[in-house]
This record gives sequence, C-alpha cells and structure tokens, in this order.
Amino acid sequence: MPPIRAAALGFASALPQIMPAARANLLIGLTLAVVTLPQAIAFSTTLAGLPPHFGIYAAIWGVLFSSLLNPSRVFSGGPNTTMSAAIGVTLLPLAPQYGAEYIGYALTLILLAGLIQLLFFLIRPLGRLLDLVNEPIINGMICGIGLFLIFKSLTTFAGLPINTQVEWPIWIALQSFQAMVEIGNLHAIQIGLVTLVTALVVRQLAPLKHWSILIGVAAGTAYSSWLKSRYGLETLLIEEIGNLASVGLVFPSIPLFSQEAMPEIIAIVPGAVTLALLGLFQTVAATRRLSRKVGGYTDSRKGIFSDAVSNCLLPFLSSLPTCASFNRMWLVYRLGGNSRITSIISAAFLLLMVLFLARVIAVIPMPAMAAIIMLLGANMIAWEDIKPHFSNRREAIVFTASFLSVLFFDLFGAVIVGSALAILYSKWEQAHPNISLHGDVLKIRGNIYYGSLPVIEKIYYEALGRSDKLVIDFSQAYYIDPEGLRWLAAARTAGHATFIDRRSGRDRRDHQAVSSEIAQQRRAKHDRRHKVEL
Amino acid sequence: MARGTLIAANIGAIILAAAAFYVLAERQHAEREALRHAAVDLTPACRAKLDRYGLAASDVYRSPYLKQPVTARGYGEADVRAIQRGCNIVDDMQGELAATGDRERWNAKRFSRSHTASCDHCHQSLGDKQDAEGNRLVGSNSLAASWVMADMYDRFTGLLLPYELRQMQCYINSSNGFKPNAADDVLRDVTAYTRFLSAAVDLKIGNRYPEQGIDEIPVSATLRRGDDYVRGAHLYRENCARCHGPQGFGTTAGGKTVFPALAGPNSFSLDSRMNFARVNSVIPGFICRNMPPNEEGRLSNQDCRDIGYYISTLPRPAGDKQGPLAAAWQQLMMTVMPPLTGYADALGNSHVQPLDNDAAN
Repeated sequence: MPPIRAAALGFASALPQIMPAARANLLIGLTLAVVTLPQAIAFSTTLAGLPPHFGIYAAIWGVLFSSLLNPSRVFSGGPNTTMSAAIGVTLLPLAPQYGAEYIGYALTLILLAGLIQLLFFLIRPLGRLLDLVNEPIINGMICGIGLFLIFKSLTTFAGLPINTQVEWPIWIALQSFQAMVEIGNLHAIQIGLVTLVTALVVRQLAPLKHWSILIGVAAGTAYSSWLKSRYGLETLLIEEIGNLASVGLVFPSIPLFSQEAMPEIIAIVPGAVTLALLGLFQTVAATRRLSRKVGGYTDSRKGIFSDAVSNCLLPFLSSLPTCASFNRMWLVYRLGGNSRITSIISAAFLLLMVLFLARVIAVIPMPAMAAIIMLLGANMIAWEDIKPHFSNRREAIVFTASFLSVLFFDLFGAVIVGSALAILYSKWEQAHPNISLHGDVLKIRGNIYYGSLPVIEKIYYEALGRSDKLVIDFSQAYYIDPEGLRWLAAARTAGHATFIDRRSGRDRRDHQAVSSEIAQQRRAKHDRRHKVEL
Repeated sequence: MARGTLIAANIGAIILAAAAFYVLAERQHAEREALRHAAVDLTPACRAKLDRYGLAASDVYRSPYLKQPVTARGYGEADVRAIQRGCNIVDDMQGELAATGDRERWNAKRFSRSHTASCDHCHQSLGDKQDAEGNRLVGSNSLAASWVMADMYDRFTGLLLPYELRQMQCYINSSNGFKPNAADDVLRDVTAYTRFLSAAVDLKIGNRYPEQGIDEIPVSATLRRGDDYVRGAHLYRENCARCHGPQGFGTTAGGKTVFPALAGPNSFSLDSRMNFARVNSVIPGFICRNMPPNEEGRLSNQDCRDIGYYISTLPRPAGDKQGPLAAAWQQLMMTVMPPLTGYADALGNSHVQPLDNDAAN
C-alpha cells in the first residue's frame, strides 16, 4: 500500500478513538503547548540564529504535520535542540545571522535535509541502517541530552546572557554554574526557584500531579509580576518572552535557489546530510524506545516518511525542521497521554495562544521557562531505565560511552560514537560464541563464522591436547558461514572430531546412544510441536 | 500516614535544597560586591601608567595629550576602581602579582587553560605601547584604539561582534580557554580600562588609528620567494629562542611568567588567527611590529613571515571546535614527544640562559 494512503487510512481509522481521547488529553496538550513555546523561541533565536517565529511555526505546523502523518501513539515532533544547533553551525560561516540571505540558506538547508530524508525512506536498506542502534546507546543519549538541557538552561535561569559558541558542554556547564552564583541576577534566580520549587512540590501531590508544570509557570509569572510592580522592570532587568502579536497564521517563504547562491548551496550539502541524519536518528530511536515502554510497535519507516514529508513542506512555511523530541515525548508519557493526539491539541492550542493570547504570554519570565526546561531534562534521566544496563558489563560500557559522548562532544559526535559502538557491539557479540566442554563433547552456542572461528579453534585444540577424539555439538549454532563449513569439514577429515546435531537426529543414528523407544517418544513430541507451530 | 510523611519529607528536601542554593548565591554575590568596593592594589606597571595619565576621581578629566583646554566628564570612585582593576587584569591576568591571587582579578584565570597567558603579552605595555619619545607604535595591538572601534564586523563570518564578544575571542583562542559570561566583571572592568585609555590618549570614536590591531604582512609585502620553514627555524633560534625557549615553551622564573609561551600547553590554541595555517598575514605582522622588544622593525618582512610559519608548526593545544581527536593528538605532540625526541638537548640549550634585568622587563 502506498505510504500516503496508508497514513491517510491510519488517520481515518484513528478518528473514532481520537474524539473521546481528546478530552482526556486536553490538559496534557495544554501543558505540552506551554512547554514547547519557550523551547521553540529559544531554539530558533539562540541555536539556529533565526527569528523566533521559525520556532513557533515549527511548534505549530511541524508538530501538526508530523503527528498527522505518523501513526505512532508515542510520537511527538516539533523543534529540536540538535537540529537547530546544526543549522546554526552549518550556516555561521556563510552569512550574518537573522539576515535575509541567512534565512534563505536556512530554508534551502531544511529542504535539502527533507529531500535526503525522503531518500532514506525510498531506499529501504538506508532506513534499515538506523535500526542498528541499540537500547543502551539510546538511553545513554537520552540521559546525556537531559543533562545537557539542564546545563543549557543555567544561564537563562540566572538571567544571564547565553553563551552561544560551540564548546564542550561540560565545561560550559561548570563555568555557567559559577557565573550563576557569582553574577547572576538575584531576582531572576528567585523567580526560577519559585517556579522550580512550586512545580516540584505540586508534583508530590497526587491530585495536582499533571498540573505541576502549568502551576509552576503560573507561580513564577505571578511572582515576577509582583516584583515588577514593586521594583519596576528597569531595576529587575528580567527578560520576558515578549510580544508575539506580529506572528500570524501562516508566513509563506521560499527556499533560496538562485544562480549566485549555488556555490554556498553546494557547500551546505554535507550540513544537510548531518541535519537529515540527526533528525531521523532521533525520531527512530525515540519512537522505538517509548513504543517498547508502552508496549507497542511502529515501523520506523513510518517515522522516516512523516519526518521527510514534513521537512519538505516546512521550509515553505518559515519553520524550523521537525523530528521527534525526546523530552516532550517523555513528558507526555509521564503524564500518561497519547502523544499523537496530545501533539495535535498542543499545536492547536499554540496557534490559538499565539493568535489571541500574545499579550499574556508576553509577561512570562524567561527564568521560569528555564526552570521548566531543567525539570524536563531531569525527567529524562530515569534510574529504572538505566539500572538494567549496569547488570551487563558490555551494555554498561556502551551506555556510559554514549552518555559521555553527548556531554563531551556534541550530539553529532554522539551519533557517530553510538553507531560505531553499536556495530562493534553486535560484531563482538557474534564473534564470541558460548563454548562449553563437558568430557569430550564440545558444545557451541552461537555463530560459527570467520570472526568466531579463532575463539572456537583455541578451545578445540586445547581439548584435543587432552583427548584425541572430540564430539562437536552444534545443535545450538544458529549460523555457519562457508569458512566455518570448510573448517568443520577439515576437522572431520583429520579424524579427530565427530559431529552431533540434536535437531537432525543425526547423533542418535551415529551413536545409538538412546534406545529406540525413547527415540520414538522424542520423534512424536517433535512432530506434535511441529504441528502446533504449523 | 507513611505516604504523607514521605511527601512531607520530599517537599522539605526540595525547599531546603532551593534555600541552600539561594544562600550560596547570595553569599557569593556579597563577596563580589565587597570586592567591587574594596580599594585596588595596583601592580607597579599599572600604577606608573595610570599615574601618568592622571586617573583620579573628580568631576572633570583632562587628557595630558590634549592640546586644547577641553575637559571631559570625570570619573567617580567606582569608575576609578573599575579602571584600576581592568588595568590589573590586563597586566597580570593570572594573579601572579596579587596578594590574594586571582580572586582579585575576578578569577580571570578560570577562563584560561594556559597557566601563563596574560593580556599584555600581545597588547604590550598594558595595551598602550610607545617608543622612547612617547609615539604610539604602528600595529601594536593598542587597547585604546581597539575601544574606538568597539563593535566590529568579524572579518571571516561577517557577524557583528560587540566589544565583550571580541574580548571573549581573546580568552578562547589566545589563552586557549573559555568564554566569560557577557555580564562578568572581568569583561566590564577591562572595557572600563580600555575606554579610559582611549580618553587618556585622546582617540576619537569610530576612527581608524595605525596603532590599532596588527599591521598585517601579506605575501605581496615581500619579494614573493615563498615562506621558508628551515629559514624560519634558523631565525627563531637566532632571535627568539633566548627568551621564548628552544621549543617556544616560554620562560618562567620563581612562579612568575617572564616570557610567554609560543607553543606547548600554555600557548594560544590552533583556532587562533595567530596560526599561519588560518591567516598567514597576522603573526608576521605581530612579529615585525612588536618583536624583539626594544628592537622593533629590525626583522625584515620576509624574516617575519618565515618565523611566523615556523612558530605555527610547533605543537599547541587544539581549539574546542576541532574536537577531541585533534586535542588528544596535540597533547601527545606537546607532552609526550618533546622528552622522547630530546630536541631541546640536541640544540644544546635546554636550559634557559641567565637573563639580564633589561631583558626581563
């Protein structure tokens, strides 16, 4: 079935469920909208170097397109930290930020990324590559991003200017914390703390749990308004979201593809590939992670399709690119909502808020917003998800490496390190079959192929040193490659080894070790099981 | 009951943590505020410079350079202290001359991975370099002239860089460090000092002065016979190694920096424009106009290019933007390789020769 029709049908079939669910998800949608707005503004202005309406339109149209196209119930799209930062980093050398040229290049970059994502959808093996990233890596990245969000908000929390240059986030965090306690605006810190404490305290009270972020923001805003009426904004020096009244329903735009811009456009193609990969990677990883948590399954190709199509449309609507947002999906999951419905509601709420409540939003202080983003970051670090990884040494290493690479490199570095680790991890796993020696029976559980042969050979020759006849049991070998076959054949020709494979019954014919009666019983059992499976 | 107690305990812990943080912040703020109001202990060089320019709290300030009897609005007590602190930071960023260490320098050391870097290594004579007759020198990186072009468009990115951001670039590249926050006292005080300097030597806002920045030496200013690494190495040994050391690792004596590092862990980073590979006209320009001290102009343009080329190939820290692999490689080249190769010993001057007092000043 063509994917567009599939998506449309999926949406139509979901409609009857959506209507009643919408009521339950109304509040969560409102919370999501309140949480998305400051992120959208912060991402577009401080990370991407674009005017704030880019983030807001991504939070409206990006969220709407991607959640309509993506049937997953845990998916929530919208503006994204990493993608915004990637735009800023790619375009910084080309043109002055916020300028008309810069905006043109940004739109082209987003469109190119969307087209590349479309390639990932059309060429199946490319999309399949994204599945090679395993759970410890994703969890490591989620924890890393959570911590990163907290670090990133420190300066805003204290009413200080943000450091925008790309540097190692962990050092920035240390310096920012020191700047916070030494030169931070104490009024801003008060507002931030009021928001943080209110939200945390409200979250302890079961009946108000879902309202905690909204109440926190309300408390922070109320406190800031009180301070303002008492001291005046000119002594407070608190940054507020500001008036969004100039933002309308849509803001059409056209990517820049002029003749004279071609050299620059060719220069940003690698950036576009990075942007496309960052988006897809997060979408696939986040959707898979949360789908498993709620006990469902969504084909990753659907996520790739929805991202690709959305990102091809968004540059025509003055919007940042979209991909799955770990922190907001986590939020909706924690609040027990359906991300798809919640996202649609949130987009609608945001549109209404921007159109009609711009004046109310304008007075929300940025420190309160920073406090909320810090809370979101903290929510992403869940000990019960991490704990299982530490019971297995290899998983622990992969988790730690992925976690640290987010903090010490950037997210793209983490993607590279993560993918390399994932491939190494699976290869390592395959190259170390579980081999046990009982008497003269050598039992191999795992793969017999060029990578694992040296391991098998070592134990085989050690065993041969003790007894000159060996029985190799590969009833639990899943895969034997040609090289493995040749080795087995050679071992057998040398006359040292005989083979058993209990699946084929060959061992019984060779050794007559079991009586025919028992053999018959086993055969009957095997047949029964086989029938059931059929 | 148990659940209620748990909730109460949680709420208590949250409020306690928030209160503790706020108290910490308030104490640190109070400490900073006290430092802002404390009298400033000037370094000898700063005292001489500021006395010469007649810095004192009064209603009017009159520059000694002014020919006409025009007076400008004077400086208050707080302004004077800020200017003095700024001068101290320019002279001694690491706090080597301060009684209480780098706390008196607003912890400027914190923003530098180099343990020896200081502003006046490049902005010589406290950013106001003059010859014996009191003429300001061309291409001497004057801080006074940098203020009158306060906000500049970056030559490479086309971004408008405010004065604070330009200072941050110094911390990131020249001291291989981190950005101070734009609101930090470090930046404000150094800005106050440079503003005072520009008023003292009577520069006009927006004007281009020859002492501003670096008098770059492009290839076209030479006979175009190519930049020669071997010749550069030779010239370096002849002219520079006596002070900067055979490997350019700088000279320290008694815990105080005597001559800055041009290479190695304490030097500027690979991201700095002082590197030939990034901009090949900046470091030759700096060398020709500022080096060797008191003999400026002795080296020819081609000499400066050769020396600059040679210096830029020496190992130095990688910039943050170059990522951890480049950083690890440079660390290897700076710390592991020199003792292995024994290059300094091979030159026969591994130990710093005794310095006469003139050279040390």
